[in-house]
Amino acid sequence: MKTLSRQGLAVLAMAGLLAAAPAGAADGPIKIGALYMLSGSAAAYGKFAQQGIQLALDEINGSGGVLGRQLEVMFEDSEGKAATAIQAARKLVYQNGAVGLMGLDSSGVAQGLVPVIPELERALIITHAATPDVTGKLCNAYTYRVSVNVHQNMKGAALVAADSGAKKWTTIGPDYAFGHQSWEFFGKYLKELVPDAELSSDPSFPRFGAEDFTPFINSVMEAKPDGVLISVWGGDLVNFVRQANNRGFFDQGFQVLMTVGAATEVLTALGEQMPENVWLGTRYWYDSHDTELNKQFVAKYRETYKAPPSYNAEGAYVAIYAYKQAIEKAGSTDGKAIAAALKGASVNAPTGVLTFREGDNQGLIGPTWGRTAAMDDALKIRSLADIRNFSGDEVTPAVDAECKM
Amino acid sequence: MSGIALALLNSLDIGLLLFIIAVGLNIVFGVLNVINFAHGALYMLGAYVAYSCIAILGLSFWLALIVAPLVVAMLAVLVDRIMLRFIYEREISDSLLLTFALLLILNESVRQIWGTGIHVVEPPAGFQGTIRLPGGITYPTYSLFVVIMGFVVLGGLWYLFNRTRLGIIMRAAALDREMAQALCINTKRVITAVFAFGAWLAALGGVVAAPMRAIDPGMGDKIIIESFIVVVIGGLGSFPGALLGAIVLGLLHGFGGRYLPDINLVLPFIGMAVVLLIKPHGIMGKGAVT
Amino acid sequence: MKRLLLALMALILAVGLVVLPWIAPYFYIFIATEILILGLFATSFNLIFGYTGMLSFGHAAFFGIGAYASAMLLMGSPWPLLACLAVAIVAGAVLGLVIGFFSVRLDEVYFAMLTLAFGMMVFAVVHQWRSVTNGSDGIAGFRMGGLGLGMELTLGNPAVYYHVVLAIVALAMAVLYLICRSSFGLVLRAIRENPERVAFCGLNVRHYRLAAFTISGAFSALAGGLMAPFLRIASPELVHWTMSAEPVLMSILGGTGYFLGPLFGAGMFVLLKTIITDITQAWMLVLGIILAIMVIFFRRGLLGTFLDRWLEKS
Repeated sequence: MKTLSRQGLAVLAMAGLLAAAPAGAADGPIKIGALYMLSGSAAAYGKFAQQGIQLALDEINGSGGVLGRQLEVMFEDSEGKAATAIQAARKLVYQNGAVGLMGLDSSGVAQGLVPVIPELERALIITHAATPDVTGKLCNAYTYRVSVNVHQNMKGAALVAADSGAKKWTTIGPDYAFGHQSWEFFGKYLKELVPDAELSSDPSFPRFGAEDFTPFINSVMEAKPDGVLISVWGGDLVNFVRQANNRGFFDQGFQVLMTVGAATEVLTALGEQMPENVWLGTRYWYDSHDTELNKQFVAKYRETYKAPPSYNAEGAYVAIYAYKQAIEKAGSTDGKAIAAALKGASVNAPTGVLTFREGDNQGLIGPTWGRTAAMDDALKIRSLADIRNFSGDEVTPAVDAECKM
Repeated sequence: MSGIALALLNSLDIGLLLFIIAVGLNIVFGVLNVINFAHGALYMLGAYVAYSCIAILGLSFWLALIVAPLVVAMLAVLVDRIMLRFIYEREISDSLLLTFALLLILNESVRQIWGTGIHVVEPPAGFQGTIRLPGGITYPTYSLFVVIMGFVVLGGLWYLFNRTRLGIIMRAAALDREMAQALCINTKRVITAVFAFGAWLAALGGVVAAPMRAIDPGMGDKIIIESFIVVVIGGLGSFPGALLGAIVLGLLHGFGGRYLPDINLVLPFIGMAVVLLIKPHGIMGKGAVT
Repeated sequence: MKRLLLALMALILAVGLVVLPWIAPYFYIFIATEILILGLFATSFNLIFGYTGMLSFGHAAFFGIGAYASAMLLMGSPWPLLACLAVAIVAGAVLGLVIGFFSVRLDEVYFAMLTLAFGMMVFAVVHQWRSVTNGSDGIAGFRMGGLGLGMELTLGNPAVYYHVVLAIVALAMAVLYLICRSSFGLVLRAIRENPERVAFCGLNVRHYRLAAFTISGAFSALAGGLMAPFLRIASPELVHWTMSAEPVLMSILGGTGYFLGPLFGAGMFVLLKTIITDITQAWMLVLGIILAIMVIFFRRGLLGTFLDRWLEKS
């Protein structure tokens, strides 16, 4: 029985309809594609990126746009899955006419998407995902990163840890690239600074998105380390802290370092439940940079969104400006030209001047670490004391030998 | 030694929370022969509605515990009238598919209504903090509440099914729908009531879980497979079986997470498969047979 | 007359598929490749759902094992694609045999639950066995290599890969079609209608179900094997139950009663997703509503409903 007729007609008809959609007139807006987690447990991160992007777009478009054209950003949900992100990237480039891509909340997604980027011939500016592989063994001429990677953050963490005097360390981290690499590099840098440090042979890696951390909390408490590195993030970190509080985890006297603890949505959700005297790291802390640009950025963000900007918002904001600069330097909207124009570029960011290192396209930037202190009554989140803004030079290792561009 | 005691206690509150969440799924299958894929979404909805009651309307936790499940139950009645009434007479695969569609709709609706942020609900006053148990173990007070609540639900269900007219009607409708109809029982109403009851239980689970878990749009998906495992292990259609299944799963989580972290993801599914192969109706089940 | 018309349309469609890269916008090459691969997956799933009447909720296990087999071989060995696909098929068949052996003794919802359990077991193994499967990060960055059989093709070129997929899927679908039309397929349909009757006729129902399951596993793995190079990654999501739900949805959307229903459903699913995500982020909501309408009113699927009406008029 032949059953092809309707299907054939339908497919051809729809193909025709969609093919008729205009590909984007020459003086229409310049489009950039953004891939973030817009659904699921970590959707807040995508939301913050959207907000940071909107702020940048309003500023840029309000003052004449780029090359006389408006700048537009199209969002696709990566769903935290590499397969989805790859499809979405192809769609953004081939269907929607994106001249450049940005995004990625998940290191796992980054590891999947980055090798595919050169085929698309568009730059990808990573604003969140921290796996060093994308500027290491997976590096390519099209992939750039404005945000702190695991090496940089863990070097900062190691410096904080070394100063604390704690010798026996373990970790609780999510069971994927980010968790494992955080522990690996933390251990490496700590050993360099404190040769007699002891690293647990039995660290805990709960599944990303696990709801229940109590087995791991119990396990660590039994092991009685001097210090714990927590690289759990987002909703998981909120769950972890609350469950840990219930078990008296933070009263045991060990140093606690949370690698991405100073994320605004985590701090807001936890409020007072975020304990005092733990060290929190972040790619960007709104209150620790004295530059004019930061003050403006934070003020405008707070006015528009009634909350201080998280690091994802700031990273996305910087990426948009990086694109503006690159497009103007290239003088065209050709994807390859823009990617080339980003090489070695220096962008004015709220944290200061950010430069893409030529060897691996990693932004030379450092994390901010601080110790939780009293509650900020206005914002209802913990404030940070003893803030350390690490500079890119302090914490960035040499270009990975495996990076060959 | 205290490691084992801790793991045991941990298993207990995980298990009983799972029981409260999953028992509704069990009952709906037992009486209606419907596998409700959207059960996890209803649980999530319960948690979100409770959050709104507490954070926005300023109600106390206890009021939210009453209000939120009722709201979700009313929604369930609506869903039953609009969607599910078409497929009760059909094969099981249709109910799986339709409730899957419901899951997609609810998931997205929650995200649209409440946004993407992470929300937090505090345990009620009096149940915050920890208590000291013999042996020097500190146990969160709220976990104790969860355990007690689990037994309350168990007791309530036993009373409902064995001592009340409504419960007996439900069991009758489960055993033989036509006969029940012949006896002038309004089976359509019973069906709606049972589905709403299942949703009420799921939402109750959501409210009880809310102080223990971060409330985010991914909650529902995480719990649905767990619920299936509980229901399969314990026995489709048997609510004491749901308790057994929940405790087994709780033990797997509590001990597996602690002592067998490398394979703790696979264990529950192996358990599920083993039970299905040896006793498909579950360890205590007496559900539908083909 | 209707037959002639249908045959003509089939021809036009076939020609259209072959020349697609030259007549449609570039992006549609990717869409079409995805539709073909998922269509094969859904069709092989339908062998046991539509034809044999068993609802499996763990089919992603086969799809996934094919994807991982393909990815691992492309990563670690110099074998050409066809050889990797052959291994994927074998892997799928073996897994189908193993899982099927345990599953086909159960019925209805218990079968669905058991296949779900096995599917998630495979997922859990893939997710946690970091040393072999690279855990949740998946296997990526493998070379595309050559096709095999002495043909020099740049598989990295999407249009070339599309034609390769088209050829392989067409071949696979033809084989599946022959299986469905054979007496074996007839027995399967009889089993769906009334297993006891078939048993009374002296046929071993369980053996037939197991055979169908194994074949389905093999072809699903072939689809998976084609998917990994297309996506350039094999990741645990391809093994998760949410992936198992896709062939189910596609078969329902298109119609389980006709051989090409699932392929049509795959086309609908992918095209709808592409169009709707351009309009709103609430794609899942729209999909849920459409699925609900299909299940309630168009139980025979879109293609199924139209064809039923069309063919009845003769």
